[in-house]
Amino acid sequence: MSDLLSNLWLGFSIAGHPINLGFCLLGALVGTLVGVLPGVGTVATIAMLLPITFGLDPVGALIMLAGIYYGAQYGGSTTSILVNIPGEATSVVTCLDGHEMAKQGRAGAALAIAAIGSFFAGCVATVLVAALGQPLTRVALEFGPAEYFSLMLLGLIFAVVLAKGSVVKSIAMVLAGLLLSTVGSDLDTGAGRMTLGLPELLDGIGFTNVAMGLFGFAEIIRNLESSGANREIIEGKIKGLMPTRQDLKDSSWPIARGTVLGSILGILPGGGAVVASFASYTLEKRVAKNPKRFGHGAIEGVAGPESANNAAAQTSFIPLLTLGIPPNAVMALMVGAMTIHGIVPGPQVMTKQPDLFWGMIASMWFGNLMLIIINLPMVGIWVRLLRVPYRILFPSIIVFCCIGIYSIDNSPSDVMIAAIFGVLGYLLVKHDFEPAPLVLAFVLGPLMEDNLRRAMLIARGDMSVFVTRPISGVLIFISVTLLVLALLPMIRKRRDEVFVESEN
Amino acid sequence: MAEDAKSSPASGGNFPLRIRGPREFYGGLALVALAVFALWASSDLAGMRGFSFGPGTTPRLFAWLLIAVGGGIAISGLFVDGPPLETYALRGPALVVCAIVVFAVTIRGFRFSFFGFPVRIPELGLIVATFLAYMISVLAGREIRWLESLIAGAVMTAFCVVLFRYLLQLPFPLWPAFF
Repeated sequence: MSDLLSNLWLGFSIAGHPINLGFCLLGALVGTLVGVLPGVGTVATIAMLLPITFGLDPVGALIMLAGIYYGAQYGGSTTSILVNIPGEATSVVTCLDGHEMAKQGRAGAALAIAAIGSFFAGCVATVLVAALGQPLTRVALEFGPAEYFSLMLLGLIFAVVLAKGSVVKSIAMVLAGLLLSTVGSDLDTGAGRMTLGLPELLDGIGFTNVAMGLFGFAEIIRNLESSGANREIIEGKIKGLMPTRQDLKDSSWPIARGTVLGSILGILPGGGAVVASFASYTLEKRVAKNPKRFGHGAIEGVAGPESANNAAAQTSFIPLLTLGIPPNAVMALMVGAMTIHGIVPGPQVMTKQPDLFWGMIASMWFGNLMLIIINLPMVGIWVRLLRVPYRILFPSIIVFCCIGIYSIDNSPSDVMIAAIFGVLGYLLVKHDFEPAPLVLAFVLGPLMEDNLRRAMLIARGDMSVFVTRPISGVLIFISVTLLVLALLPMIRKRRDEVFVESEN
Repeated sequence: MAEDAKSSPASGGNFPLRIRGPREFYGGLALVALAVFALWASSDLAGMRGFSFGPGTTPRLFAWLLIAVGGGIAISGLFVDGPPLETYALRGPALVVCAIVVFAVTIRGFRFSFFGFPVRIPELGLIVATFLAYMISVLAGREIRWLESLIAGAVMTAFCVVLFRYLLQLPFPLWPAFF
């Protein structure tokens, strides 16, 4: 315990350094901006800003990037509540009740509860990251290649199970991601794999290019298609930012439940903020005495999901910092940011770079404190930003992405690869395939292959090693159970559908 | 899946087969095509040597699994009713891609051979490339306001130059360099 306190003290002394506080503020501001603006996602933003962190001190750079991620969770709710367009995928459900509240003239209360919930969740998650860091690191040091492989498999299964839409389609996306990740030089032999003779592909397809294409460009192409979304901004009605005592009473339990749920879903590989907010909304609806109020301005429908997404955004750093496994696309970009600075994510970060580890954790608390100030009293400024029309915004995003990708390696072919993935992402969405599992598989692919090969070498080709080693066996068991549970209702549903059809 | 088809006589006896879930069918088919392409592209790689993986083992493993799952999706699209294909927009995606590619080939110039003819695109530098890409992107939008876009493009270009070239000191050529 005293260990934890002294570590946290170290963290706070580093995060409290004026320069790092500045980076934290910058990250929180950019995050809020990204969150508020619909059509600008966190993944694309962090990918765009990676080159900017080249020249920075690693601690400051990572503090800033982390701030963007959880900052976007705050900003996203503002747009959801006031405009009924989710500023961020994580605040889609906040639209349902948040905007209804705004229509009833309770926008102030909704915004305040969203921010207070996020702040509470952020504080709890910060402590959780700090507390779980050390024990998990110790566990991670026991892991061999078989365990790592099984853990990543579990992560992919989680991504499949938690993804929207069809389970089978998500599995296909995971496989496509794994397949794409094998392009490039082979780790052991150095042989160029599936490079089609193009020297540009020898290094593999860069993750930033894939992420920028699938999340940045594809999103723009899709937005261009939807007829000019009417942004009906509710303004002038934002008064009384202080929620009433009744509001606070109504939302205290949802905030607590959302925090717990979000923290758990954040730690799980394949989870993350988007899933957490949906899960929390469902949970609140389920436990509510009168579920009919949901969708008509129930404050619980704002408090729960907004707390959950912020908690998940922060706890998703746990697998990255302790096991070195990115649980979602944003964390995969953090791996990229760490690699730029020569840091290999994994259990050794805590022992070798305690400054970075604890500084980043402590900065999350500072960041949350800043965000509540940025988002509550200053909400009017952000609302004004929503008036910038999309026809000006989207070409700016395109050129900014282009310059960002180009600057990472000074490579024009990277920019073109991102364009290809942009078109691919558009087609995938048109056929109801989710890009998120593909991206996660793309990131985990090389790690999985490496560990699979090593495990097989150590076990002299004996496949049973994955089940006979206890930790690995448990992980595989959970994966299989989850997959079966996810597939069962689908098969049953399909039967039902067929049944209904044949009755007609 | 085949059983599903038999037990759903909604359009029974209707042969040749109607594709009931075209979104699934073509999506699955495209994935199978991708996997087959990967099998072809990785056919030159060595496979297993004893119990150690060769470079070709994992790509082929993933490709075969993708063929199985993608094929399953395509087949289910044949027999299970699904939403119809969405209409694809052409102009928007094409112009966005065009803007990105123009940026890529002009920022530092580009050489390639087109049916044996060497083509050389001159280096236009950050300022021109950014502005060009911005204006081409503008064309992809639904409504175009020229004056507004020209001003916004110029402002964005200036912003990028200040940010990337001066604040971050990245080594971009600013102006066109002809030969």
